[in-house]
Amino acid sequence: MSWQVIAKKDYAESRDSKLVYYLLLFFAFVFLVGGYTYPTVTEGDPTKGGFAGFMTGAVSLLLPLIAILLSYNSIVGERESGKLNLLLSLPYNRREVVFGKLVGRGVLLLIAIVGSLVSAGALVVYPFGSVSAMSLLNYVGYMILTTAFAGIFFGIGLAVSTFTTSKRLATMGGFGAYFLFALVWDGVRQGLNYALEQVGVIDGTAPDWLLFVYGIEPTMLYDRLVTGFIENDVSGPYFGADTPWYLGKWAGLVLFLVWVVVPLSLGYWRFEVTDL
Amino acid sequence: MENISKRYGTVTALDRVDFTVKEGEVFGFLGPNGAGKSTMINIFLDFVRPTEGHVRIFGHDCQSEGKQARERMGVLPEGYEVYDRLTARQHLEFVIGSKDAEEEPMELLGRVGLRDESDRQAGGFSKGMAQRLVLAMALVGDPDLIVLDEPTTGLDPNGAREMRNIILQEADRGATVFFSSHILEQVEAVCDRVGILHQGELATIDTIEGLRESVGGGTKLQIQVEKVQNGVLDSIETLEGVEQAWLSQEDTQIEVTCSNDAKLDVVVELNDAGVEVENFRTEEASLEDMFAEYTGGSR
Repeated sequence: MSWQVIAKKDYAESRDSKLVYYLLLFFAFVFLVGGYTYPTVTEGDPTKGGFAGFMTGAVSLLLPLIAILLSYNSIVGERESGKLNLLLSLPYNRREVVFGKLVGRGVLLLIAIVGSLVSAGALVVYPFGSVSAMSLLNYVGYMILTTAFAGIFFGIGLAVSTFTTSKRLATMGGFGAYFLFALVWDGVRQGLNYALEQVGVIDGTAPDWLLFVYGIEPTMLYDRLVTGFIENDVSGPYFGADTPWYLGKWAGLVLFLVWVVVPLSLGYWRFEVTDL
Repeated sequence: MENISKRYGTVTALDRVDFTVKEGEVFGFLGPNGAGKSTMINIFLDFVRPTEGHVRIFGHDCQSEGKQARERMGVLPEGYEVYDRLTARQHLEFVIGSKDAEEEPMELLGRVGLRDESDRQAGGFSKGMAQRLVLAMALVGDPDLIVLDEPTTGLDPNGAREMRNIILQEADRGATVFFSSHILEQVEAVCDRVGILHQGELATIDTIEGLRESVGGGTKLQIQVEKVQNGVLDSIETLEGVEQAWLSQEDTQIEVTCSNDAKLDVVVELNDAGVEVENFRTEEASLEDMFAEYTGGSR
């Protein structure tokens, strides 16, 4: 009954989508390779959480893409084609439709993340035979953080899917968001730095408020949280002793949670109030 | 249905439409394309929210309690697409699961003539086959209200007849049927009552007989004459039972809508006026004329 029926159907459908399927496999593959090589290239105890930082680059490149691919078309495609008309003429309310779709696709994503991270983590500690409860807990935190990171882009994809009326626009929106956050944010930051320096607003290094602005982007946040919470790093512009509180890891966590909640809620709200 | 209005910006798609469909009746919702029929049905289904007014189905508000309303509805919506990767049987299994019904998919497929296609993926279906499939889906769980938006779209004449039969069977079972069409004869063949929608307004709502009566008592005379004389049309129109008289061909053909009893009077009147009648025939006022009249399609 209700959303489970949709989730089941949706799960079957998104599993059929080849591209996402291969990307998920690739993601798992990257983690296995990472888990295998990390202990051999790192200095010091590899079970101390450095692995998370080691993988951040791959995670922030791949996971947003997969998450957006899974969700950006979830509503708009069916809406454009008319499959949604068929679905919503059955006794479902829109909440169940969104929920069914999120669960159907989200489960797929969750399985991939948890599966990859657990296997990679096992590979990292395997050569050492034992692992402390502390670093195990640390690793669970890393998995939660990474899953939430995927959730952010999943939510962005959903919002794109409910705010657009054609698949073409949704594709542009979804990949635009990926492009901006995962690929060019760094370039934007540097460009802006340069420009501000030219006009004389800043001098040499970026001031704190600018660091804050740069840092509200989700992949930057993820990187910061991994560094701050999982690796327990206490240096650099965001973690040094004299950085203001709003650049710290706790403020980062709050922003991160806002990213998890807002796009998802906005996307859902939009779907709830709009005419099909 | 109470005073439903729907506006898109400055465009008014529905203007204070207000009517009630009784339980167990077959109600035809008639109107040319673009009259607002689908908007109306989409409000039933909560695809579209009305700007003003409320629709209640079995006491449930279609917007705030849409799910409860749809639990007792079977729907063939407009502009749908079937799941191309699922077979016909899987479609029905999905609907049966969604409605907590206990039904045999094959039996329903048999009713709509798709028994032999049950294990084919619906992606390869023609428009007509998809239409049959969705009709079967609408019949799942013996719904109390069946809503069909342009049900014969894509069906051949044979399929359209089967569709009519199914509508009548469902009505016999006691279901209420609400369907929209821009094709008159379909509505005429099965409906107890008809509502005509024109440019977002409900032009009329009546039984088929009632509508016939409202169109000049049901008869139209077509009279060939040698030559019409001045004033003769006016004097015909003063006769009792005559509604309207007009020239349909310059000088040589008159058409008159009138009650059955007045037919002879018209001919006599022509004779008295010295107009020679060469030929004449009568026809029942068709709903076609009526439809045209209400929707401003002619004259």
